[in-house]
Amino acid sequence: MSGPKSTDLALQLLRKLPRIGIGNLKPLPQFKSKPYGRGPRNTGIDGGRNYPEQQKKGSQPPMGFEGGSSPYYTRHPVQWYYRDHHLKRQYPPLSMFSLQRSIDIGLIDASSPIDLVTLCNTQIYKIDPTQRHFGVNLTEDGLQIFKAKVNIEVQWTTEAVIAAVERNGGTITCAYFDPYSLAAMTDVKRFFEKGIPIPRRTLPPENCLEFYSDPKSRGYLADPAEVSRARVELAQKLGYQLPDLTKDPQYEMLTRRKDPRQVFYDLEPGWIVNLQDEVVLKPADEEVRQYYRS
Amino acid sequence: MFGLISPLLRSTVTKQWTKVLNPAQGPIPSGFLSSLGTIPSRLQSSESKTGLITERNYRFPPSGFVPSREAWVESLETIEDKKVGLVPLHPEVFAEFPRIDVIHTNIKWQTLYKHVDYSFARTRAEMPGGGRKPWPQKKSGRARHGSIRSPLWKGGGKAKGPRGPKTYFYLFHADMRSKGLKAVLSAKLAQDDIHIVDSFESLPSEDPKFLDALTAKRNWGLSVLFVDDTDFMPKNIALACHRRPGFTLMPVYGLNCYSMLKHETLVLTLAALNKIEERILTFDRRLKIRDFRDNTRPPVKKI
Repeated sequence: MSGPKSTDLALQLLRKLPRIGIGNLKPLPQFKSKPYGRGPRNTGIDGGRNYPEQQKKGSQPPMGFEGGSSPYYTRHPVQWYYRDHHLKRQYPPLSMFSLQRSIDIGLIDASSPIDLVTLCNTQIYKIDPTQRHFGVNLTEDGLQIFKAKVNIEVQWTTEAVIAAVERNGGTITCAYFDPYSLAAMTDVKRFFEKGIPIPRRTLPPENCLEFYSDPKSRGYLADPAEVSRARVELAQKLGYQLPDLTKDPQYEMLTRRKDPRQVFYDLEPGWIVNLQDEVVLKPADEEVRQYYRS
Repeated sequence: MFGLISPLLRSTVTKQWTKVLNPAQGPIPSGFLSSLGTIPSRLQSSESKTGLITERNYRFPPSGFVPSREAWVESLETIEDKKVGLVPLHPEVFAEFPRIDVIHTNIKWQTLYKHVDYSFARTRAEMPGGGRKPWPQKKSGRARHGSIRSPLWKGGGKAKGPRGPKTYFYLFHADMRSKGLKAVLSAKLAQDDIHIVDSFESLPSEDPKFLDALTAKRNWGLSVLFVDDTDFMPKNIALACHRRPGFTLMPVYGLNCYSMLKHETLVLTLAALNKIEERILTFDRRLKIRDFRDNTRPPVKKI
């Protein structure tokens, strides 16, 4: 026998059957369309299909109407489990396993800073700012196998992830981006083709300002001196040897940070990138420059 | 050797094998049985030009878990069936499950995507006239009518008639097209309707009668699809198939389920065979974006 048994039996059976041609093919039975119309089995007003009863008999009272008395669903107080649920920020997750795998197979270049633009360009990670996605949540899955030395900028993460990145000699930052900046970052080509200026990143809203200025969460608004102190504290707390950043040959790359108002590396807010002529247009008017200033 | 031959081909192979092994039947090409080891000197002939074709260089080697199918390599030099080799066929192309429903969806797509329904009927608004009420509403004793172009009238407009031109074009999944090709190739091989030839260059005559005699002798049926890897066909076969209904020449890039099923027999050159397998397997083993995607994604964090 060769191949799976069922395949072989099917091919053996075909040898005894007439030649397959255009005229003797058949779809699977479930894909046959249901006959419609008059016939011995299709009787009545609907011809075997559903006929909306309400349409036939006129309108009905609304569901839950109790003939004038207070309906059941308004008789008791409401518990707002999901109050403002649609307004909350969402951070679609990316595991450390995925990140390590993307670096290993060459989708991500770890020798340059990694941010949301890098992740979205791989096309294995996607966010939709219109669905209130506010960036990447780097999760702890695959934390044990994470070996890369990276300078990564995420939007949400945990202490364990920070420790895993810094144990390998890398750096991590939690940075906030407003939806307009995120729309530009998630599809850079489409944004540049629009021909509008690169937006000026807004500061984080009140309810997450603390997170993004906390050195423990490596917030981008925190004092750099406090961040380096927090790095040492975390290493002592979890008991690992923190590599010395200043002696690292990649020191320049690892300590590179964006301005709090900046969206892309090497590009400032207010600039326009013209892909067709391959030029960058910078504002000359002093008033405009003042508007985009950090 | 016989152990390697699939049970589907065993009966025919055994017959042909004994025929070729007998040196009295005709000249034996040199290099014959090279895969088996030493070649007996009595089997070697100085008359033949080419050696026996027994090997193929796969770009995508088979896994080995499923044995390869095998097929004779024939030659168009003579009317009689003359074998010039025995080649393995990739099991992932020629030993796939013959999904009749997949073939059916392919045929349906090939029929529909080029179909345009031009039928058209005018409504009462598009017909000339009909603005005047033909007779008063009351007191005439006749049925009440407002327009002579009403759908009730003879010569009136058509209600809910065809509004052509309407296209039936749709895109069909590339995966299903690949599956359809594999299903048809496997089914036709199982039904002994695929023949491999060394090349179309070997056809000696441009006379259609020679090709007719050849196909009749080899039981290739009334319609044959000749497939080569290039669209520059040799002169002899081009002239022999010219104005001969039922015989079609086709390059590999035109290969499709409909044509393969429309013709009784499919004749592939070795070059075409290589290209078909390479194209299908390149497509099947391409790197898909979903291979990278992390399927074990935890739920979205809400803050």
